[in-house]
Amino acid sequence: MPRPPHASPQTLRLFEALLADPARWRYGYELSKQTALASGTLYPILMRLSEQRLLETGWEPSEEPGRPPRHIYRLTADGVTLAEQRLAAKRPAESPRRAGPVPQTRTAGGAA
Amino acid sequence: MTAPTQVRDSVLRRVAHAVLTRAVRGRKERGGEWGEAVLAEFGETRGDWEAVRWAAGGLRTVWRERRSRARQLPRPLRVARGTALVLVAGLLAGFVVSRYVMSVGYIPTGSMEPTLQISDRVLLDRITYRATGLRRGDLVTFTKAADPGSAPHTLLKRIIGLPGDTIECRDGRVWRDGSPLDEPYLTLGPEEDRTDCSPVTVPEHQLYLLGDHRIVSIDSREYGTVDEDTVEARVVGRIWPMRD
Repeated sequence: MPRPPHASPQTLRLFEALLADPARWRYGYELSKQTALASGTLYPILMRLSEQRLLETGWEPSEEPGRPPRHIYRLTADGVTLAEQRLAAKRPAESPRRAGPVPQTRTAGGAA
Repeated sequence: MTAPTQVRDSVLRRVAHAVLTRAVRGRKERGGEWGEAVLAEFGETRGDWEAVRWAAGGLRTVWRERRSRARQLPRPLRVARGTALVLVAGLLAGFVVSRYVMSVGYIPTGSMEPTLQISDRVLLDRITYRATGLRRGDLVTFTKAADPGSAPHTLLKRIIGLPGDTIECRDGRVWRDGSPLDEPYLTLGPEEDRTDCSPVTVPEHQLYLLGDHRIVSIDSREYGTVDEDTVEARVVGRIWPMRD
């Protein structure tokens, strides 16, 4: 069965992190820590979500002088709806699959 | 605007930062949005290992960003770019293969008749013989200047003697190490196949080479043994025309 878009385990981990407090602007490094996704996995997902207007992005000037502005993220209204849908769809199906010893996808992120 | 260099950063962190900056910005003042985003977070990472991993992921991000930007270009431009890339890569690969791996050779003379006729095409193996070594009876191409000082050209002959072999001719036949050679490829008749030569022991790193058309071929009988280093390829077989 083909997977719907934005339903990879990595994306779901990111949705979970973003949904914890949907109104708050988040930093990439912080999200990477929280989801245990490497930057090379996290940013392409952010990129994809932003292209489809599921994610808002912005630049936040740094408080410390001399440091570059930081890129910030939060889900759009559409993003929140989709993230909730995807997480809800995954949860009942996930428990039996977890029982099996075979991981169904590569885990690009690994443990941080 | 460039990021401040943190004086206390380790060499590894500085290298990772420099590589990432270079990948994101190239020669420009500022790179793409997402590359810059990863770069801006670099200072948050703690320790060498995390910094290197962050930068590595950043490279992947930059690559993905470039690719998605390329997808947004107008279709004709994308097609033209793709075509150009394939052409250049193909030409380059073709050059490397024909120069170092395998190519087709044209037979311009009758000195290898009847094995190879004028205008035959043969497949040349330019690489595996370097590992497997050359054997007696192999056909090889090598370069040789017709006269000292003139430009070398490629010749194709059969290996009769390897280093250490003693080659002589008796009654029009070739003898190696005291016994007459069985040469089934000589089928033109006693007149044409007659071989006369002066005895020689093949020195180290030299080859004794003869053409199959003994009465016509100019080979080691004339110019002596040939340096192994001048060998360019081993003949795999004829590919055109397809006769038996």
